[in-house]
Amino acid sequence: MAQDRGMDRAKAIYQDRSQRAGELKAQGKQVIGYLCAYPVLEMMTALDLVPFRILGDMTEPISRADACLPTVVCPFIRSALDLALKDRYQFLDGVVMAHSCDVAEKTAHIWHSYLRPPYFHFIDTPHTTGDSAVKQHKRLLKDFQKTLEQLAGRQLSQERLKEAVKAHNQQRALVRELYGLRKPDPPLISGVESLEVMVSLMSLPVDEGSRLLKQVITEVRQRNSGPPKKPARLLIWGSIIDNSSLIQMIEGLSANLVMDDTCVGSRFYWPDVAATEDPLDGLAHRYLVALKCPRTFRQADPNKASKDYQADLEYRFGYLMEYAKEWRVNGVILQSLRYCDIHGYEVPQVKDYLNSLGLPAIYLEYDYSQAALAPLRTRVQAFLEIIGQGNF
Amino acid sequence: MVNWWQGDPILKAMDVATVYPEDYGAVCAAFGAAQAYLEGAEADGFPAHMCGYARNCLGYTARMIELGEIPPEAPMGGMPQPSLLLASGALCDARYKWFQALGRYLDAPLWVLELPHPGVKEGLMEGAGEGNIYFIAQQLREFISFLEKLLGRRMDWGRLDETVDSTMEMNRWWHRANELRRARPCPMHSRDFWSSMPASLYMANDPGETAGLYRQMYDEIKSRVDNKIGALKAPERYRLAFLELPPWHSLDFFNQLAERGWNFVIESWAYHPPRPLDLDRVSDPLERLARYSYHWLTGYYPKANQAEEWWGYFAYPYLEYVRDYQCDGVVLHPLLSCRTATNHLMMVRDRLMKKLKVPSLVIEGDIVDLKLFDPARALSQAEAFEETMDHYKKLRKEAGLGW
Ligand code: SF4
Ligand code: SF4
Repeated sequence: MAQDRGMDRAKAIYQDRSQRAGELKAQGKQVIGYLCAYPVLEMMTALDLVPFRILGDMTEPISRADACLPTVVCPFIRSALDLALKDRYQFLDGVVMAHSCDVAEKTAHIWHSYLRPPYFHFIDTPHTTGDSAVKQHKRLLKDFQKTLEQLAGRQLSQERLKEAVKAHNQQRALVRELYGLRKPDPPLISGVESLEVMVSLMSLPVDEGSRLLKQVITEVRQRNSGPPKKPARLLIWGSIIDNSSLIQMIEGLSANLVMDDTCVGSRFYWPDVAATEDPLDGLAHRYLVALKCPRTFRQADPNKASKDYQADLEYRFGYLMEYAKEWRVNGVILQSLRYCDIHGYEVPQVKDYLNSLGLPAIYLEYDYSQAALAPLRTRVQAFLEIIGQGNF
Repeated sequence: MVNWWQGDPILKAMDVATVYPEDYGAVCAAFGAAQAYLEGAEADGFPAHMCGYARNCLGYTARMIELGEIPPEAPMGGMPQPSLLLASGALCDARYKWFQALGRYLDAPLWVLELPHPGVKEGLMEGAGEGNIYFIAQQLREFISFLEKLLGRRMDWGRLDETVDSTMEMNRWWHRANELRRARPCPMHSRDFWSSMPASLYMANDPGETAGLYRQMYDEIKSRVDNKIGALKAPERYRLAFLELPPWHSLDFFNQLAERGWNFVIESWAYHPPRPLDLDRVSDPLERLARYSYHWLTGYYPKANQAEEWWGYFAYPYLEYVRDYQCDGVVLHPLLSCRTATNHLMMVRDRLMKKLKVPSLVIEGDIVDLKLFDPARALSQAEAFEETMDHYKKLRKEAGLGW
């Protein structure tokens, strides 16, 4: 349908992510792959490099990665590495990785060693959020800038960086606007469609992505074929979801997925970069402090002589309450990929917090395979029945 | 929690006694008491694939809080309730996420120390090393301010200065003792290493006294070397490296291999102290500590860079170990519950084979969970692996690799 051009395009990109990257390369652009949410996109954009998010492929069995990354680590990362070893990321002119989690950090060195991309940079993102850590992060971004400048063959001016900050902030605002369309009951756009749009944004230069987003937002507002009304309005929290099958399974039941806290979703786009005189200050802060992934250690009051657990939970997860209120959520799915320590440790604590809000939650662990979804379906169904009865 | 000599000397200088729950995890495993704690953690919602030490500690703590006292069945008198939790961002995520999760049971304050982990190339960029060291020292300063507030007393800087020196002295002797293990036959087996290394890694004792102990060990090992006395009763047929954390609950396994003449001559990089570093001209004890810990992690980077090896800690050092200690084979012990000690093993296996023609034997298991380790199965592979080691010994000779 002509009126769904934006949505269709997003879906097409979601299904074949590399096609547009290939066209951009043919136009002489350099495409830089990045893993997770911590490589600073604005710095690439400002040098006219195209950031391209490295994702896995749940439908492709992992075979080559076994030789260099053991089976007991994050299956998403193993899948991404496997694709690269099978030349599915051959079009990348370079790769940037960060110390997002332990496995991502170690995989960075494995990737660098086995794939030897023409350009490689590793940002050792600190774990804590105090002033000294933010300063350290800024220093690391300066080093990143140096190697990027060498790659691009030109200097990065503050003005260009400020423009890139604006462009990315604008895209973030548009994503928030799109997410706003999930607030009505029924939502105007499904969780599956929303994920497809997010993945497509991560495969395009920022301005092109924002144009696509505007088109999608307009279409969604105008269409009358959105998701049907369902009793459960769910929030999904946890480790990366880059394939829509898990969401499809959930939305195939009596639930609409109306909000997420995952890193191919709101977590990636929510916080803006503050406009600071030196843009690196705003960037160092945004990517270390404002971005809320459990890989970063934060606590309510680090200088207190004793800990108040509830206050700590409020500080760390308070935003989930806002999400729940604004998106009128009546149940939460906590999910983690098997072997993801970062999210695994967090689960009982997020559950404690949701309990304190009276929000029912279920924890799902899966191994990034389609086969894992069938047994999960039964569990989600049982959970939805509990929500339906208001028994929590 | 182990912090590779960043925070321990500071705690010592401020008279804070330390208890290490990962060490206690190994104790619970060795006493067969861990299983119940692991199950307790699982019942509280912590996924079973996570660090065995962490789950042991979470399960133990939940039980201690429930009982209101140290659980009566706890081995070696148990662990007391802490008044401070000191976590570290070094090497693994568990080591700060786990202590954060303890907040469910304990109201103790929590502090996290950072240790930068640059890549080889990034770590060697102009100014990067100094910047990282400055950051560590700054973090240690912040930690001291926090401790002073918490404890209501000031740091005795003279005492810290001495503690830092004796920590380095302790590790200097420990390093020298381990250097002697290059000798043929190797005078000290990994089992002795594992029982001796906690004094360096878990600094529960006075480092000055530990330095004396390691010095005595050095003398003893030296006299073994001089008299060509090996660690095994049987003749040393094979020299091996063990990577990474041993199955603490099944150490007898190594005795059975020793009977076959397998001498484990070197082991986990992360358990070893840094190579000596001259810091005499650095007067600030915090800067000395920062330089020291950073050197532990990144000291191999210049050589790794020359060799175009991009994983400069945890992976590259084994190329040097295996060559310098003339290993015939390597036993790799991937752990279902520890990414950190497992991530690099396939890459190390590959590198050792490609660059040094040294084969590896993979034995899956766990540090705490008995169910995951099958010693009989592992032993059944020993004979075939001996043939493999013999084969590669020939190939190394042909390639002029020297052992
Ligand atoms: S899913 Fe977990 S383990 Fe995997 S990359 Fe994300 S944080 Fe790391
Ligand atoms: S390195 Fe492994 S065993 Fe040690 S604390 Fe971390 S996850 Fe646990």
